Amino acid sequence: MNNNSFGKKLGRVWSQYSYIFVLLIIMIGYAFTIHSNGNTFKFSHIAAILGSQNTCIVGTIALGMAFVIITGQIDLSVGSSLVLCTGVTIVVFNLTDNVFLMILAALATGALCGLINGLLVGLGKMPPFVVTLGTMLIYRSLTLSVVRKVDPAISGSSSSQFAMISKKANYQFLRMQFGTGKLKFGTFSIPYIFFVFLLVAIILIIVSRKTKYGKSVYAVGSNEKSARLAGINVTWVKISVFVLTGVLVGIASILQACKIGNVTPASSGQSYEMYAIASVVLAGVSMAGGKGNMLGVIFGALSYTTINFIIVSIPGLSVDIQDTFQGLVLIIVILIQTAGPAIKESFQRSRKRRLASAKAE
Amino acid sequence: MTILEMNHISKSFGGAKALSDVHLSIEKGEIHALLGENGAGKSTLMNILTGVIPADEGTITFLGKQYPSPTIQQMEAAGIAFVHQELNVINDLSVSDNIFLCREIKTKFGLIDQKEQLKRTRQLFEDLGVDMNPSAMVSELKASEKQLLEICRALYADAQLLILDEPTTSLSNNEIDHLFGILRRLKEQGKSFIFISHKMPEVFAISDRYTVLRNGEFVAEAEGFIRDTDPHAITSFMVGKQYVDTEVYQPRPLGDVVLKLEGFTGEGFEDINLEAKRGEIIAFTGLAGCGASELMQTMFGVLPSTGGTFSVYGKPLQGPVVSFMKNSVAMLPSNRKENSVVPDMSILENFYLAEHEISKRKKPFINTKEELARYSAQKEALRIKAGNSSDSISSLSGGNQQKVFLARWLNIGADILLFDNPTQGVDVGAKEEIYKLILDFAQQGKTVIINTLEIPEIQKVADRCVVFYEGKIVKIFDHSEVNEHNVMMYSTNAIETTREGSSHE
Repeated sequence: MNNNSFGKKLGRVWSQYSYIFVLLIIMIGYAFTIHSNGNTFKFSHIAAILGSQNTCIVGTIALGMAFVIITGQIDLSVGSSLVLCTGVTIVVFNLTDNVFLMILAALATGALCGLINGLLVGLGKMPPFVVTLGTMLIYRSLTLSVVRKVDPAISGSSSSQFAMISKKANYQFLRMQFGTGKLKFGTFSIPYIFFVFLLVAIILIIVSRKTKYGKSVYAVGSNEKSARLAGINVTWVKISVFVLTGVLVGIASILQACKIGNVTPASSGQSYEMYAIASVVLAGVSMAGGKGNMLGVIFGALSYTTINFIIVSIPGLSVDIQDTFQGLVLIIVILIQTAGPAIKESFQRSRKRRLASAKAE
Repeated sequence: MTILEMNHISKSFGGAKALSDVHLSIEKGEIHALLGENGAGKSTLMNILTGVIPADEGTITFLGKQYPSPTIQQMEAAGIAFVHQELNVINDLSVSDNIFLCREIKTKFGLIDQKEQLKRTRQLFEDLGVDMNPSAMVSELKASEKQLLEICRALYADAQLLILDEPTTSLSNNEIDHLFGILRRLKEQGKSFIFISHKMPEVFAISDRYTVLRNGEFVAEAEGFIRDTDPHAITSFMVGKQYVDTEVYQPRPLGDVVLKLEGFTGEGFEDINLEAKRGEIIAFTGLAGCGASELMQTMFGVLPSTGGTFSVYGKPLQGPVVSFMKNSVAMLPSNRKENSVVPDMSILENFYLAEHEISKRKKPFINTKEELARYSAQKEALRIKAGNSSDSISSLSGGNQQKVFLARWLNIGADILLFDNPTQGVDVGAKEEIYKLILDFAQQGKTVIINTLEIPEIQKVADRCVVFYEGKIVKIFDHSEVNEHNVMMYSTNAIETTREGSSHE
């Protein structure tokens, strides 16, 4: 009996905080790999994970993706809109050398990309998968077609890329101090951009838990019909999460510009939509909508980055095979998350049947 | 010749007796009406006959053969076909593909022999006198044609006895005539039908004999030839002497008119004119599909209105649901699980969701303390039996869930309350409590409209009862005039049939 209730408790904690366990297990795996390479696992390894573009840039996008997925939708265009936004952001910087205008341009472009998705889905009543598949192609190709035609004095690069011009007055601050700089605590140091991600995450955790808007997002994903009959403007909620995601892509584009300093429309942000979805899934958010903890997305993003780091640090593993391992780990994690409750349920059902038949006799 | 004999059939679910000692016999070449109120046991009996569920007691003899424990496959093979109310045809296949579904004719290469299938379908339609294109897509057919297709499919499989479960609910009058014409022809060819319907005019138009079930029991005197009886008598058999347990109804003084429907028209109803006063309880009733539920949904902005006005306190209302809510209208939808419950949320979250839509502009953040206080007040007032407010909504019983949703709407301060089938899936004790609450609301000056099929429910709470038939108001009864017989006469439109009958004589 005692044993049983302990098992139940463990099951509940596991299903509620699975994202923490997932990160812990993956971290241990990472430490193990480092050790087997003959090095010691240090805080700098963790700091590298925190400041990685996979954590901060993809993570910021994943926060928006989580909202979209909680409403039961999907946004495949985020990688392409990141490229478009970063292009605009860098061009505005190169033209104005003004930090404020650059941020404004980034957020506005992101919001616009999201709004287009949202309107097509919300008012056009088209499936989000198809709409964002379309805009995914459009946003990237637009950026690609523009980059070659822009004067290098504006694009900042003579090749097919947008790059921040290093002669501008604010370059030093944005790139060197903010983008790649770190906050030092004694011997530890954490990259600044991680704090941007963290701040955005905290705001969205509050939105999801403490605001009336946040609750309506969950309600729409959980039972759209009930939500509508409770007075929730379902169409508006669905549009709003796309706009929110767009704004977050805008923030991510600022991080991309400041950390990397450039964007290549042909290759940057490739598959970011998949990485963002993977982070959301690792965070334990249900793809069916209505369920999921925004706090988990922080852990999800970190888990995903760590998986990457493990794969990179295994000697003799070719870069080409990396995605195979990423895919495998993702499937295994999801298998554990979905199979766990399913096994539990079938166990409960068989017990109920046994009880019923015992009663009948 | 008798082709089917069901004798001494009994069936219980848990402790509840669904059928006790029921008899049914069907002759070759007859249309036999199986009648009874909702819950009288008609579906249970048919499910036993078709092998879906086993009977506890009794014997089934079909075409001279005994079936002690029939299975679905056995009964199908024996020649009994169930044509369901919801059409079980596949829209994306052609007519002939549907007929040969799961018994396709194959060529020697293992592919479907379309040519042969079309030929045989054409032959079948010719034999039956059905005018339908075998290669048409089913999605393009009218509802009546789909119904016919299902019947043809059953006949192709050589069914001798077809069960038609309310086959006319989705059909227009012309389509019904068409269907009946074919049924009569098939009858002459020796096919038998069990015809389940709530519509008296149809029962009298098509049936030869009838059997009435009441509360799972066979009504002995209510079996015989349709030509020897009249709608009045049958309605009485169906209703019997109803036992109304506790009298909770109390008349109260009514206030001014607060709600007005003028020429109100929408999907499924038209030209509705009605007024309701402060503190009044009005019941809408009628058969399934009579338009009352659609009317209610349109009065809450869920469905669009196409004409006329609905005004509350003299102000015409339209627009999205939330604008109705802001004008103190609330609707408790039917089918709680589908339309009210947000399954991934707690009791508290399910409770406060609607109120947020009104208050979110001014106060975007949730004040949990305040919400809990409001919830506790409602919980006490409505006597909700629930554990922790953070428990999942699905942890509650049906009755208590329904109370949470009542609380949801009281929480927005609504005083026009529309309840669509509020006691659906709620046990008897909780039902009584909900009736008391409805009367309390009226006492407090709220106006309540309930849509229900249960006549005892109307007798318990309603000051007036509005009967709908095919989207129109056919009769408004005062409280004292409401009884099963009166309401049934109008909701089945038996009154029209009787009048027509007597005018002919």
